[in-house]
Amino acid sequence: MDKTKLLVDGKRLDGRTAEELRNVRIETGVLHEADGSAYIEWGKNKILCGIYGPRECIPRFEASPYHALIKCRYMMSPFASLEEHSRSGPSRRSTELSKVIREVFENLIMAEKYPNTQIDIYLDVLQADGGTRTASITVAAVALANAGIPMRDMVSAVAVGKAGGELLVDLGKEEDNFGESDTPIAFAARSKDILLIQMDGLLTREEIEKAIGMAEGAETKLHEIQADSLKRHYESAGEKKFEM
Amino acid sequence: MNGRKVILPGDKVTNGKVSMPGCFAEGDSTFAAVMGMMDEEGRFIPLEKRYRPAMDDAVVGMITDVRHAGYDVELNLPNVGFIPSRDMRTKLELGDFVVCKIREVTEVGDVDLSDVRRLPKGKVVAFPPAKVPRLIGKKLSMINMIKESVGDLLVGNNGYIWISEKADIPLAIKAITMVDEGAHFSGLTDRVAALFGKEKKGE
Repeated sequence: MDKTKLLVDGKRLDGRTAEELRNVRIETGVLHEADGSAYIEWGKNKILCGIYGPRECIPRFEASPYHALIKCRYMMSPFASLEEHSRSGPSRRSTELSKVIREVFENLIMAEKYPNTQIDIYLDVLQADGGTRTASITVAAVALANAGIPMRDMVSAVAVGKAGGELLVDLGKEEDNFGESDTPIAFAARSKDILLIQMDGLLTREEIEKAIGMAEGAETKLHEIQADSLKRHYESAGEKKFEM
Repeated sequence: MNGRKVILPGDKVTNGKVSMPGCFAEGDSTFAAVMGMMDEEGRFIPLEKRYRPAMDDAVVGMITDVRHAGYDVELNLPNVGFIPSRDMRTKLELGDFVVCKIREVTEVGDVDLSDVRRLPKGKVVAFPPAKVPRLIGKKLSMINMIKESVGDLLVGNNGYIWISEKADIPLAIKAITMVDEGAHFSGLTDRVAALFGKEKKGE
């Protein structure tokens, strides 16, 4: 059988080069009642993020007198992708993603300033096309900045993987499903700390080093997009965003 | 924005360790922890801020629980504030609006209140705490102007604004929204004055 190639003459399925990101657009402050919010369109991914808190910790026995509890709920809508996602309750996948995203922000938020409270990060994937965890981290950082929750740093994430025998930045769904490896990496913008790295499939030691370098380059671009979105929001204050 | 640079969390504010609201020091530099901008004197102005209760702040709140020992007050905070009954000469009821002073904030964020005054009938609206100084203005200029045109209103440090029933509530909300949306642009007082001028002509 003739297998469709993921890489032809250095061009990928959607015509991108190996180091090219998909189109990323972030809108800040889209929800009225949330303390902070943002919406991202990353290629065909569409994710809405709302931040609530610091607010009273429920259940009370979970509260810590030393720091705020950070809670994250990543949810993929039942209509988000071609595959059946059935009911949108917690699944093995969404529990894992909620945990890794929460741990990224536990390293950034100055939770010690708000004892006995919780900060909620709600992430709703409206449309999925590969790389929702990286897009979720990128949009949640913008929403947290919009909420005014003190953070040590901004963060953005991108996946680097191997498909068609080559290292590629920002894998799409097909490259992820039929490629050899997928490695999402989250970088703090200032300190360049790696806050998340998960390897699915196999990469050699040399490939990992190269992948981290490629991710760092892409993440500089992503940080600019985040900064641009936030600046646009604050500089155009007073203009209505979604006027019907 | 008048050419002022917007600063993101994690961006460098100045060299050297300086104590400023919404900032933190790391190594030899000071970094922003929240969205903000720099003013002409090199100070950091936070654009987003959660209300942090401080001693002697005047706050507006609503009674959410009546108990034998005292009252719980909703103050735009994760925890409720508390008014002990023994400090009160009169009784308060569920849903009453009060203005009070913060007597003490414990290290876990519990708020004790004193100098309680029950507010007459009116409406309470929420306002971003980061913009409260702008609503008050230099030497109360903004708030006095709004009061002159719409009637009695009260701004709490926690961002809750009580507007008297007798005041022109729609006009007050219009003016407050205007301050909210234009808080980090200059010439705001003039624009709010123009709003009141227009309203008077319309009558």
